[in-house]
Amino acid sequence: MRRLLFAVLAVGAVTVQPAFATDYEPKLDNLIETYIKPQTSAFAETAAKLPAAVRAVCANGDAASVETFETVYSETLRDFAHIHFLRFGPLIDNDRLSRLAFLPDPRGITQRQIRKVLASKDKDALSATTLKDKSVAVQGLTALELLAFDKDSAVRLGQAGDDKAFTCGYALAISENLAAMAGEIAEGWQDPDGYSAVLLTAEGGNERFHTSKEALESVFNALVTGLIIARDQDVLPALGTGRDKAKATRFPFSRSGNSVVYLSGEMRGVQEALASLELMDLTPDDFTWIYNAVDFEFDNAVGLLETLEPPLRQSFEEGDAYDKVAVLAITLKSLRDTIALELAGALNLAGGFNALDGD
Amino acid sequence: MRSMGTKPLSRRGFLAALGGLATLPAFSGSTLAESLLSREAAEGVPLFVSAYKLENGDYGVGVVDDLGQVLARITLPGRGHGVAISPDKSRFVAFARRPGTFAVVVRPFQDVAPEVLTAEPGRHYYGHGCFSADGNLLYAVENDYATARGVLGVYDMSGRQVQRIGEIETHGIGPHDILLAPDGRTLVVANGGIMTHPDKGREKLNLDTMAPTVVFLDRETGDLHTGHALDASLHQLSLRHMALDGQGRAWVGGQFEGPETDQPPLVGIFSRDEAPILTEIPTGIASGLQNYIGSVTANASGDVIATSAPRGGQTLFWKADTGVFLGAEAIADGCGVAPIDQGSFLISDGNGALSLVSDPAQPAEILARPPGISWDNHMFALS
Repeated sequence: MRRLLFAVLAVGAVTVQPAFATDYEPKLDNLIETYIKPQTSAFAETAAKLPAAVRAVCANGDAASVETFETVYSETLRDFAHIHFLRFGPLIDNDRLSRLAFLPDPRGITQRQIRKVLASKDKDALSATTLKDKSVAVQGLTALELLAFDKDSAVRLGQAGDDKAFTCGYALAISENLAAMAGEIAEGWQDPDGYSAVLLTAEGGNERFHTSKEALESVFNALVTGLIIARDQDVLPALGTGRDKAKATRFPFSRSGNSVVYLSGEMRGVQEALASLELMDLTPDDFTWIYNAVDFEFDNAVGLLETLEPPLRQSFEEGDAYDKVAVLAITLKSLRDTIALELAGALNLAGGFNALDGD
Repeated sequence: MRSMGTKPLSRRGFLAALGGLATLPAFSGSTLAESLLSREAAEGVPLFVSAYKLENGDYGVGVVDDLGQVLARITLPGRGHGVAISPDKSRFVAFARRPGTFAVVVRPFQDVAPEVLTAEPGRHYYGHGCFSADGNLLYAVENDYATARGVLGVYDMSGRQVQRIGEIETHGIGPHDILLAPDGRTLVVANGGIMTHPDKGREKLNLDTMAPTVVFLDRETGDLHTGHALDASLHQLSLRHMALDGQGRAWVGGQFEGPETDQPPLVGIFSRDEAPILTEIPTGIASGLQNYIGSVTANASGDVIATSAPRGGQTLFWKADTGVFLGAEAIADGCGVAPIDQGSFLISDGNGALSLVSDPAQPAEILARPPGISWDNHMFALS
């Protein structure tokens, strides 16, 4: 039914497309083909390695299996960071994004709920099939981190203990659930009749968008929201109101020592997704400087992160780490302003749901 | 053990009713069922309600808890705006955004389907309304668009079905927000002054001659007690959203329709028998607000007022008794504001976040960001 509808709409688009309007579909096609499809496929491939890594660390618990698990978990987070800001289509269908990682969680909902799962030895947590119907907070990468790492960022999954069998069974269910969702997201983007068709049949209007410009605005604004998340949600809580109020535990994935991997991943992700749109030819000459400026600032941001020593839980209060993250926050604000105000302005793109059309 | 009998509402009843309310299974795999049921003080959990837009283009109204978790979503026929909550908190009415013609009555703690109201022929809703103190009547701001006359539709909410039983003139054009004064008899209405006609969508038809007012009406007789207009030089400051402070004064936020380079006051204090007072926004902040205030909300005790400015990405806080500016919190596209606890506010934004602000000198704490949701202009405390 859905396929038929899009087929009809695609025909309609050809006949009613106004000649004077810019068609943004090629830009959206660039994003899908050169960024979204490769990155969601990469995430699916790394996430698919998680179940075997969990099995191995639970069966052996030796240094090699621990290291493999650490590596696979970290690479899965990196690849998730490359796509988590694509908050449209397959990533948010069926609550997938919340189920992949329950963020933010400043009040420890995940911890509380996992404690209950463990205390009751809830059998529904032992199979991906039943786990996926439980609370989103106990299903994803954030839940796996709590189970698999201790407070000092060491792997505890598979180590001897009273709860080893249950914890391993639960961790395996999470990893299988993650692998399944990552696969569904990649497939969703590969499907020519899936959400890519919604974006690519927007010119002339479809069930979601009136124009391809509106479709472009929706993905452009998702990238801006990604920068807002990176700064306001992922960095500022750890900075607190001053050096003496710093809370390294508030960085995302600090428990597993992966905060730098995750933060770098989301910044590189937004940078590359934006670049993949190839908007330069639509940008007035007076504003083409923005692209170099934006790349320069992204490189600075990631460069700052690369100089930090993970895990930040141990290093954040030492040396100049705090100051570097404070500069990172300023850089992220500058990036957001440059992209959301100057670049969007130059391209005449509308942004801000309430700001745009309040009442 | 909790005593369910002493509370008028049952959260478990609420949970039981969700299946009958929502058209989307947002909560079945969400934290709702477990987090709310497992919370030790589930009976006392503060709840909030706000209109939203989904990424897929659908509109609805959602109920969230004080951790920002979405507990229920009710699909609306179109974009929503404000919500009127009954005094006993057992019902709320979600209004269409202007010039919409639907309003949806939701009884969130009962297993009953929402009741959809349709505006009278020749009328559309402006997006806000309020209940009488006994909960039996609902007043909705409406446009009699053939004559560009602002009216309050009066609805009898006491029967099995809602009935429109009359209307009251607002003595102005474009009535927007409405409050019931603490005396239970006076209705305060902000006539935004902007003429629109549904044939012209949201086009503003009288910017040169607009004359906004705040009026105090007797809800029993419909009589106009007092009407306040601003100085003629501010006739293009559309007075729109309001909240009552602890002294019963209406704080009003405006949207300026005049030259962008002007920097008029945007927040005023109106009381029935005194001249309006206009507050001063520090210049450095005022210049970034694009002359636009979104929501106006008082904290639980009425001694702090929050006014959001989504175009400036700022929410401003005021000391209610003196009108002194307390500070601002930067929240991108933040607009909906509801009181939470005694001294804090929950702020919703178009990027999906729900943030807690207890002190404008501290960064807002982002409690949650449900994917795919853009929170619309206003949020209200449901309990």
